[in-house]
Amino acid sequence: MIRATLAALLLAAPAAAQNRPVIVADSYPVAYFAGRLAGDAAEVRLAVPEGRDPASWRPGLAEIVEIQAADLIVLNGSGLSDWTTRAALPRARTVDTGRGLEGDLIATDTITHSHGAEGSHSHEGVATHTWLDLGLASRQAEALAPALARAVPGADVEGALAALLSDLSALDAAWDGLVDGEPVPVIVSHPRYEYLGAAYGLDVSALDWAAGAVPDADQLAALGALAAETGARVLVWEAEPPDAARAAVAALGLAQAVVPSLAVPPVQGDFAAAMQAGLTDLQAALSDAVR
Amino acid sequence: MSALFLAAANLRFHWARTLVLVVAAALVLAVPVLTRTLLAQGEAQLTARANATPLLLGTRGSRLDLVMAGAYFTDDLPEPTTMAASEAVWDSGLGIPVPLHTAFTTGGARIVGTTLDYFDLRALDVAEGRGFALLGEAVLGSAAAARLGAGPGDTVLSDPENLFDLDGAYPLEMDVVGVLAPTGTPDDEAAFVDIKTAWVIAGIGHGHDDIVAEGEDLSAAAARAVQFARITPENIDSFHFHGDPATYPVTAVLVAPYDERSATILRGRYLDAEGPVQAVVPRDVVDALVARLLRIASLVDAVTVVVGLAAALALGLALFLTWRLRAPEMRTAFALGAGKGTIARLALAEVGLVLLAALALASPIVIILMRNADTVAARLIALGS
Repeated sequence: MIRATLAALLLAAPAAAQNRPVIVADSYPVAYFAGRLAGDAAEVRLAVPEGRDPASWRPGLAEIVEIQAADLIVLNGSGLSDWTTRAALPRARTVDTGRGLEGDLIATDTITHSHGAEGSHSHEGVATHTWLDLGLASRQAEALAPALARAVPGADVEGALAALLSDLSALDAAWDGLVDGEPVPVIVSHPRYEYLGAAYGLDVSALDWAAGAVPDADQLAALGALAAETGARVLVWEAEPPDAARAAVAALGLAQAVVPSLAVPPVQGDFAAAMQAGLTDLQAALSDAVR
Repeated sequence: MSALFLAAANLRFHWARTLVLVVAAALVLAVPVLTRTLLAQGEAQLTARANATPLLLGTRGSRLDLVMAGAYFTDDLPEPTTMAASEAVWDSGLGIPVPLHTAFTTGGARIVGTTLDYFDLRALDVAEGRGFALLGEAVLGSAAAARLGAGPGDTVLSDPENLFDLDGAYPLEMDVVGVLAPTGTPDDEAAFVDIKTAWVIAGIGHGHDDIVAEGEDLSAAAARAVQFARITPENIDSFHFHGDPATYPVTAVLVAPYDERSATILRGRYLDAEGPVQAVVPRDVVDALVARLLRIASLVDAVTVVVGLAAALALGLALFLTWRLRAPEMRTAFALGAGKGTIARLALAEVGLVLLAALALASPIVIILMRNADTVAARLIALGS
């Protein structure tokens, strides 16, 4: 009896102040999963302000206090929200959907530095956009479900999870059909597509262009050189580029597609619709490139 | 009335002797009451805290050390276990784990590194300021705040573990952001920080400027590296941790199982004597400890009775010798017409006045201590070994 009361106390602590449980997510994909699983039984909020990238956003004190008060805090994990290593979050009300994905993470640049008597040491980076591999996205949704069921007792989590997994599985199957055979080289405008490439037969080379800007002559020259080096015939944009940018890249003979990385909400539709639209666009670009 | 007057005059005249008699009698009266009160309060607090702590996980070894460190924040530190033990509970879906890191102190107050869940579990309220939100922030228990003279806006410094261990934990200056409402439990004596802050004190996490210049030798850069001793808004983003979080040390893991069945399953998972982690039900350990304390208390009672008798005999002897010295005075009183009854009344009046004065001295001491028995007992429990 005491144990059950204590556990209930831990889980219900912040819920007393409002009617509908509040779920705060650190990035759009997990917010989408939470919304699908909770339905109308909870209010899902994105912690990151509109227009900010979750990977570089740092919450202020007031924002951390607001996040602490949520009934459930949903994190993508895999190093996406670095600020969580320096903020105090209630573990009982926090779910890291990246737990269990450790063996599938893709290492990125390793930073080595040194201080004190410890000598040098390294920070191994990992790619953070795990949801672009829809198999990993399904596992993240599955990791989220038990915690969400506890935090939102009124939600039909089991049924919603089955529907979500079915949608993600269908999308995954569609993406699986993108490339048949050897990986196809593509160039992406931002280093976000490691998991997408690894999962769906794309040999990804990344640029790091500013979103929404027209590339200058040096950037276009670097793109041309990279295309020649890798044999890539397609450039993948993270968001719809300016017309001038599209024309400049087309002049290099590259086909183009927009595949949103979805760390933030898409301009139109939701996660599934945006992934489907990105697939359609990329399929068309690959076909153009072959011609 | 005249007997009382004469007795009082005599006691006043021999004030030094009277004072010794009064103090001795007051101690004989007060000590058993004080001992009993403190024992009862200590037992009540030990039991209440144990009842509010469903399950503790820690490295296999002394069960008592684990309970005392994990529930009462004493100095008896068991070998640390790792965060893997906490995460295993989380993954099991059988309960809510609350990791506790209690290896460090600040101004003598135990630094308890934990998660925000601890405050929910213990129903702790912040009386002043706010709860911790960032690395390097501390919330003080009420007694610790009073003793350290610190409140929101002040800073506290972690105590160095070993002045000669140059590679050990560096003191970290922490911002006090809140003070808890008093609870009469060991929480009053503690300084709470996020467990990641405790790991920073332990040297697992640290912050520093980017010190390696392009093309520079790493060892040369290391020689001029200075780690931050305080976490500020300017340097907090440079703080980072090394290694696998599952290997980070924790003193104990407090577990709140979801229900009785979950508690039973969890306990069963740690029965293997060869396993590195043990599960302890604090109530079982404390019940055994309290039973021992009660046996000791019975012995103390018996000793108190003997000591009380000896003290009474000593007092009686002192009074008897006093009356022997006053024999000529009594003979004069008898010659003046005072009967044996009058002389007996005089003697009884003196004894009565001494006892009354002793009671008057013992009562405020007993009352003050009884009023503060919970605080004193909590402090005694927190002192540990």
